[in-house]
Amino acid sequence: MTNSMNKPPVEILEKAKELFNIKIESVADKQYRLISENDKAIPLLSFLKESGYSHLSILTCVDWIEEKKFELVYILFNWSNGVTFLVSTFVDREKPIFYTVKDMWPTAEYYERDVHEFFGVEFEGNERCRLPMILEAWDDLPPLRKDFDPLKFSKEHFPDREYEKDVIHEAKIIRADLEDARGDING
Amino acid sequence: MAGIAGTVTRVAGVLLTAFFFGLTFEGFGRKIAARIQKRYGPPWYQNFIDVFKTLTKHGWTHGWIFDFGVLMALGGVIATLSFVPLGNLVAFPGLDNFFVIAYLFTVGALGMAMGMVGTGNPWASIGVARALTLMLGYEVPYLIVITALMFYYKTGNISDIIVAQAQSGGWNIVKFPIGALVALISLQGMLGKEPFEAPIAPAEIASGPMVELSAKYMGLLMLMNTFMEFVEISLFVDFFLGGGTYFVFLLKYFIVWTFAVMVSTVLPRFRIEQAVSFYWTVPILLAFLQAFFVVNGWVF
Amino acid sequence: MAQIDERSVWEKIADQLRSRSMWMLHYCTGCGAVELPPSMTSRFDMERLGMGPMATPRQADIFLITGYLSAKTLRRVIYTYEKMADPKYVIGFGSCTINGGIYYDSYSTINRLDYYIPVDLYIAGCMPRPEAILNAFNTLMKMIRKGEANGWKRYKENYEWYKQNQLRSLKEVIIHDEFHE
Repeated sequence: MTNSMNKPPVEILEKAKELFNIKIESVADKQYRLISENDKAIPLLSFLKESGYSHLSILTCVDWIEEKKFELVYILFNWSNGVTFLVSTFVDREKPIFYTVKDMWPTAEYYERDVHEFFGVEFEGNERCRLPMILEAWDDLPPLRKDFDPLKFSKEHFPDREYEKDVIHEAKIIRADLEDARGDING
Repeated sequence: MAGIAGTVTRVAGVLLTAFFFGLTFEGFGRKIAARIQKRYGPPWYQNFIDVFKTLTKHGWTHGWIFDFGVLMALGGVIATLSFVPLGNLVAFPGLDNFFVIAYLFTVGALGMAMGMVGTGNPWASIGVARALTLMLGYEVPYLIVITALMFYYKTGNISDIIVAQAQSGGWNIVKFPIGALVALISLQGMLGKEPFEAPIAPAEIASGPMVELSAKYMGLLMLMNTFMEFVEISLFVDFFLGGGTYFVFLLKYFIVWTFAVMVSTVLPRFRIEQAVSFYWTVPILLAFLQAFFVVNGWVF
Repeated sequence: MAQIDERSVWEKIADQLRSRSMWMLHYCTGCGAVELPPSMTSRFDMERLGMGPMATPRQADIFLITGYLSAKTLRRVIYTYEKMADPKYVIGFGSCTINGGIYYDSYSTINRLDYYIPVDLYIAGCMPRPEAILNAFNTLMKMIRKGEANGWKRYKENYEWYKQNQLRSLKEVIIHDEFHE
């Protein structure tokens, strides 16, 4: 266990590629992006966890609406050499179901609840996804999807302040009748 | 002045002194704390306005235990206050024994505890538990020192101790310096000021025992706190600084109060177990040392 | 705008006292709360006006809504506002309480505060500086002395209107989360 944590990242990536058949991109100096398939994602995560990438920074989701897929991104960090791996898998957008990783990382339970509330992705094995965490009493489309219109929702549910147009005051400004105006309505 | 009229006048004098000067000195204390922090403070009459403002709000009560607890707290403290000699102004001459005052102390504290726990708020229960635990801490060294003092003077009557200090020409703070130091540390705990502010702890447990008090109850509790401070500091001034005539007494009171406020603005807050374990190590040893000196007759 | 001053003598004296000793609730929502520590500490001292922070809603007079309010916080703010003792005053800081501010198109923040709780004074800015905050406190004190700060009376008289607005935006005001159950 100890000597596998100090291997350079390129070596680990080679081994992962031959075991799990993943695509690798280098994003920045110490960041690598790994794209894997659905059924190989969880074994890949546990392999990476044992190789020293044991810190799950976050689990988020990206909505690719044209390709009709959700991309789940797991960001793993290694404390001994400071390298970050972004592991992503693609899930179908019509029926988004994936598996939970809360047995490996207990904090993943809250990230999965977050992704469930805002995107609608179901995680098998995490029953507490049904409980509201951030949005309470919400029965509309999950809000961070790209086909949700927040401006329309805000205008329906949260009324705005109405401002009345004072035409005579504006006319005075345009005609430069008031002392402290500059002759332009928009200031 | 003898007779009922004289007693009533003296009791009224004691209570009005405590009300007026207690609130004024609290206002001065806020000004001093503000100046230490390099800002102007509120005006000196701010505490009067605070108390009267709380009496104008429309609050609620939480049942008869709550009402009774607040009344018992304020009534107990007023009763304690009327026995304490303010230098030469003694309301009940001959009855101002230390044991009477120590006995009546607990009425106020227990009344407040009962009333606050009766509201059902968990913060109140935590605050009350902390207040009573802290009382376990500061009472023990204080009582050892006062017992040593009473053993030396062979009397428990506070007025006699004041007179004895005037006759022998030296204040007790010079004769029993270790004892005075222990009493000052205990006083800081009794007043509920930093570093022993765990029972009130404003932002930590939402004011502790005072969390559910709304309008006039808050005003009554502020008055109870003021009177309680007046009792505690008056006892210290009587025992160790020699009492004195009315205005000399108030001057000594103000000096002790300023010292307590200045210490409280620069120190942080101890946790409750740190406070009690502190009280049971250093001040107790010093108190025993002082008692040992007194028993052997080694005083200045 | 001259209103007939209907207060009795006791109310006038009480208003003079209330304006000189206001206790502020130590609960500041949103990002404007960062402007309160400078107002409370040495440079722009708030305590010389008689104001000080108070930890519990039962004893506080002023409730400061500093900045945006999400729907989740609004439920808790309504709980807290109804717990405070009369008379109580609400100040809305910043443009998010006036017309939504930069979050006007968000699915979870409100756009206009005085549909839900009555507001006595608004301060414009994003965020207002401590000088503006002290000016606002002075204005509030003058309003209290003249008898114009009547938010708490408006809440009691128009309770159904406020409740209807709250339910329309929030769907329910009762909090169901794992800490309350």
